[in-house]
Amino acid sequence: MGADLTTPVVVTGLGTVNALARSAVEFAHELRRGSCAIGPLTVFDPTGYRSRIAAEVMPVPEASCLPSPLRRRASRADVFAILAAEQALADSGLEVAASPHRIGVALGGTTGGMLRAEECLHARIEGRLACYRPGPLLATPISTSADLMASAFGLRGPRITVSTACSSSANALGMALDWIRLGRADAVVAGGTESLCRTIFAGFNALHALSREPCRPFDRRRSGLTLGEGAAILVLESAESAARRGARVHAELCGYGASADAHHLTAPHPEGAGAVLAMRRALARAGLEPEAIDYINAHGTGTPLNDAIEIAAIKRVFGAAARHLAVSSTKAAVGHTLGAAGAIEALATVLALRDGFLPPTVRLEEPDADCDLDCVPVHSRPATLRYALSNSYGFGGNNTTLVLGRA
Amino acid sequence: MDRNALKEKLKELLISGLRLQDLAPAGIADDQPIFVEGLGLDSIDALELLVLIEEHFGIAIPDEEIGKQAFASINALADFIVAEQARGS
Repeated sequence: MGADLTTPVVVTGLGTVNALARSAVEFAHELRRGSCAIGPLTVFDPTGYRSRIAAEVMPVPEASCLPSPLRRRASRADVFAILAAEQALADSGLEVAASPHRIGVALGGTTGGMLRAEECLHARIEGRLACYRPGPLLATPISTSADLMASAFGLRGPRITVSTACSSSANALGMALDWIRLGRADAVVAGGTESLCRTIFAGFNALHALSREPCRPFDRRRSGLTLGEGAAILVLESAESAARRGARVHAELCGYGASADAHHLTAPHPEGAGAVLAMRRALARAGLEPEAIDYINAHGTGTPLNDAIEIAAIKRVFGAAARHLAVSSTKAAVGHTLGAAGAIEALATVLALRDGFLPPTVRLEEPDADCDLDCVPVHSRPATLRYALSNSYGFGGNNTTLVLGRA
Repeated sequence: MDRNALKEKLKELLISGLRLQDLAPAGIADDQPIFVEGLGLDSIDALELLVLIEEHFGIAIPDEEIGKQAFASINALADFIVAEQARGS
């Protein structure tokens, strides 16, 4: 199949496991209700951290679709990914066995099986483990979730794991879009997965980036982010392929834009130059003017710097049209899931477009003067949405914006 | 340790060491193949089992061929450990 960079690409399968929901249907319901899944941190001992809260997936469901050896060695992040993919593939109705070599996997993640590796290391250092065993350490690399997914579902097309900090899975979705348009795959199982682990929690804690109370994006009292975990998977394919097999289309993935700040390891560019460029590129790729966008699912971490600079960047891109936009952060509901955030938020955006509602920024009670757009405080609202953006900005200045459209 | 107690210990070690929580010791027959079609264990489980046997019985299995025979079943593993312990004493 040849390349056609204008080929419409659609979302035909949805799946998620996150702190708020165990399926896309549940996720839509909880977003509409304005629920918040942030609670006490229990995955590991929270002693010694300034923040002791997180958005956890508890208990972790069993990945019963994996054969025994793979299931026993799967990391927490692997399990989230496999379960979300199982749901998404079932939802899409895609016949994998008919053309396994034409179905790819593109996943984002940042820490993979770090949690298990930490446990092995602790056990060894404390003398509970005489020597390391191979099994528990095999799921350490971030690439294992995509490997398992391919094995479990017989997906034999191109496969990639993307790691660009908190924009990882937004880039994975973008790459999946490119593959389909370039004719390298007919369909791609794309998204991201992340599990909480001590290393990352300690790192954000040391940077004073974690909020002591559940995060409050865009609120003047905001004091940092709240970490979360989970996975979201979208099945992407060309609109033509979806139409041919009569698949239900949830939304269209119209384009994406990526850029780098080349500025600082943790802070965004002071004028949001990278964020502006990513949004402009995404709009250009989708062939849309800013006025066409009704909603932005913001990166919206709840750190003082991110939210103010993101809103300023949106105003630069949208000008007067920013006043007609709704901008919200679903991280207040489901935590910041790092490598999974781009996919979980793309899923939230798909649900918003499909079901006609604005997901709220829960806990936004006192809007900051620097965040003076319609940030959909506390309660969701019904809304007819045509096009939406989903912003993802990672440490190191990794910026990606997805453009999604109603089917 | 008598042979039955040894076999019981090996079954418990398999279940806890290889995280076979959906199995009970009573669910593993003494002569059932441990790998592939038997309990569904694979080559990485074999590497783990090597470490477990060394840790718990102080017996190193340096040769792959010996390992294959010793890991055929719980009976074979118990025979191997009893023989090695007799050799060492």
